[in-house]
Order: sequence, then structure tokens, then C-alpha cells
Amino acid sequence: MSGVARLSLVVAYAVLALAALGRSTYQIATKLSEAPVPYLVSGVSALLYLVIAVALWRRWTGVALVGTALELLGVLVVGTLGYVESSWWPDETVWTGYGSAYGWVPLLLPAIALALLLRERRARRDDAGVTPAQEGAA
Amino acid sequence: MELYTGVIHPLVLGVSALLALTGLITLAWAPAHRALRLLVPVTYAAVAVHTVAVVVLLLTGADADIILTLGYTVASVALLALLGIGRLGTPEAASADPDPHRPVLTRSQITRVDAASAVIVAVALAVVAWRVLVILEAAA
Repeated sequence: MSGVARLSLVVAYAVLALAALGRSTYQIATKLSEAPVPYLVSGVSALLYLVIAVALWRRWTGVALVGTALELLGVLVVGTLGYVESSWWPDETVWTGYGSAYGWVPLLLPAIALALLLRERRARRDDAGVTPAQEGAA
Repeated sequence: MELYTGVIHPLVLGVSALLALTGLITLAWAPAHRALRLLVPVTYAAVAVHTVAVVVLLLTGADADIILTLGYTVASVALLALLGIGRLGTPEAASADPDPHRPVLTRSQITRVDAASAVIVAVALAVVAWRVLVILEAAA
């Protein structure tokens, strides 16, 4: 991944982390009992964004890969459950409606980050001359 | 409140729009980076004026949710740290860090990082300003 893509992703994740942290901290501190599941999901997503931003900056590729994969899974699961079982969600989370309240950035960003991280991992593997079969055997 | 809705809020939105536009132009045409760098202190000033205005409104009796309003205002200040983040990739900055994976950017890469971060920060600043306006108007 180029330095430009990496730093741009760090900025995007830092902004999302800031937004989600502020929102979830307020909701958890003031009205957790009203909708515990959505507010805790927002809290978890905020922490995940923070971890991914740090991992991208420190180049912890494994952590960033797992984090973005979890984030994408979270957006898809919460987004789908919001339509299928709307009674479970008395209030919105960051991932509700596949992140529609945040311009669908929570859906697009992990997809872009995952693609870039996987490409980087493949490039590193090619540079090291390791084939996937060799890696699997090891 | 009239001063806030009529002057300060439009000022923040205007500066955000200018920042986003200059960021997009810089992504396409690197020499615009100079203008973008000039816009950074302008953005700082706009956010500072906005912050002072919100605090004054809260202190002078606006019946808004203080935690929420101040939270958004603090977020707008925190966003400023991300402007010009390309500076973290300069060879000088990288040489001072023992982390071997720290990215070292060329001049053109720093320009593109600054431009991309300006667009992201501009959008986030506009959203935060809009949220503060909604909260303050609901309380008015």
C-alpha cells in the first residue's frame, strides 16, 4: 500500500473513530438502559475504528486486516438485522442502514481498506518468493 | 443566536466548502497545495470563532444539551489536527521516529495526503457544524 493510501485511510478512520467515540460515549453515559444493544454496538465500532487507525499507522497489517474484516462483517450483519429484526434496535447505531447516517462510509471504507491490505500482503508474499501452497505447507 | 445562524454558521460552512474544493483541486493539480496550506490557518480561525460563539451561546442561556453541544464543538477542534497530516511523512519526521515502518513520503505524495485529508476534514467539519446548529436551533 502506498504511503498516500495508508495515511489517507488513517485520516478517514481517525475521523470515523472520533465521530463514533463521541456518539457512543454520550449514549452509553446518558441513556444506556434505553437501548443497550445499539449503544454498545456503537461503542464497539468506535473502539474498532481506533484500533484500525493505529494498526494502519503502525503497519500492523494482521491487526488491520482482522479489524477491517470484523468491521465489514459488523456493518453487513447490523445493517441486515436492522431491516430483518427492527424490534431489536430501538435506536440507531453507526452501522444501522449499512452506515447510511455516515454517508455509507462505514460500508465503503472497510471494503477499500481490505482490498488494499490484501493487495499489499500479496505483494509482500511475491517479493519474498513464497507461494500460497508453500505458505500453507509451512 | 441571529449572529450565529446568520454569520458564524455560514462562515464555517463556507470555509469547509472552500477547503474541500481546494483539496479536490490539489488532488488533480499539485501546485494548488500552496493555496491549501494558506487555507489551513483560515480554517483554524473559523473553527476558533465557531467554538467561542458556541461557548458564549451556552453561557448566555441557550437551553441546549451542554454535553452534546460541547462534544461536537470539541470534535471540530480535534479534526484540525488531521489537516496537513502529510507533515508526518516528511523524511525529517520519519528520521526522528525509531519505527522502521513509518512511511516516508515524497513531496508529491505529501501534497496528495494533505489534499485527501483536507477533503475528509472539510466534510466532517461541515457535518459537525450542522449538528451544532440543529441542537442550538431546537433549544432556541
